[in-house]
Amino acid sequence: MIKRLDYNSIFQLGDDLEQKILSPLSCIKEHESKWVLEFDLPLVDKKDINVFVDSDQTIIVEAKLRESYCDEHQKSYQYEYFKKSLSMPKNVDSDNISAKFADGRLVITIPKTLQGKKIRIED
Amino acid sequence: MKAKTKTANKILLLGFPGNGLIGTFTVSYLISHLQMRLIGDINHPDMTPTLFVENGEILSPIRIYQKDNLYAIISDVPIFPEVAHEFVSSIAEFCQKNHIKKVIVPSGVDTQSTDSKDTKTYGLATHPSFEKLMYDNDLPKFIAGSIIGTDATVITVFRNYRIPLLMLYTSCHSFFPDPQASIFAITSLAKVLKIQVDTKDIQKRVDYLRIQHRSLMQETLDAIQQQEKQLPSKVPPIYR
Repeated sequence: MIKRLDYNSIFQLGDDLEQKILSPLSCIKEHESKWVLEFDLPLVDKKDINVFVDSDQTIIVEAKLRESYCDEHQKSYQYEYFKKSLSMPKNVDSDNISAKFADGRLVITIPKTLQGKKIRIED
Repeated sequence: MKAKTKTANKILLLGFPGNGLIGTFTVSYLISHLQMRLIGDINHPDMTPTLFVENGEILSPIRIYQKDNLYAIISDVPIFPEVAHEFVSSIAEFCQKNHIKKVIVPSGVDTQSTDSKDTKTYGLATHPSFEKLMYDNDLPKFIAGSIIGTDATVITVFRNYRIPLLMLYTSCHSFFPDPQASIFAITSLAKVLKIQVDTKDIQKRVDYLRIQHRSLMQETLDAIQQQEKQLPSKVPPIYR
């Protein structure tokens, strides 16, 4: 069987050719006091990025590419946007989420909230 | 671009997908810019049968190139743990058969810093003959850390076969394709090989390469996760 190089990327990454949407790579790292969520957004300017948190606690990142991206193997495949939705981790402080963008990487910091009740240490 | 290998002994460059896809970007760039000749490929019955078609030419995902005393093996697919030992052993046997005396493997190492100014290439050698080379080329030694997966298999197998190996670890983003860090890796490798390589071409294509290689990066992360599952939950400290 001969498999095309770009076959996987179309289906595994959830790209949407019809809507010209690419699904960006993302990763999440847990720290003691926060979660750090990163999106790889090459060919994007900061002004063209929108980040939302919806009522279902889903974080949505949308970005317009500065120029359309053509698939190297299939020239008719053209993409103009990045879009990805991810569920937020639980027990987070949604009001204090912050984001930074540098070198085509969007870094979203999600602070954790302290849950449960305090236990007193006896004398 | 003009490039000339000055090294007398035969050297093999080995590049396979790993952290930041540094090995893949670095070795494929050198193959292209040194105009190395395709001399063969590597297949394994346990690997998913895959072929790529480039300009009508059918290519195997793991290929062997040569130019003068320089050999290169490049893999465009991740090496899964089930086949890693056999795959690397077959490369070691290829080295013995072809009298290749040194192996250099560019790879990536995770970094906490997000500033590209902090990018560094560290050397980890299995043989003292590489120590001077590292010193002469200002390559700091990889002092401490744990190495898992295919990199660990490569080091173990080449040590067993007593073939001198130099791992060149360039700091990079582990989870995303990092062609920018690869430019640093290419420059470090070029210094070690004593060749001149112009990196303008890859510099121009950094953003495109990041988009193009998303699928390979995802597959590589899946392979790494599979390798991590087989490890003990915590790497024990080593006391000496």
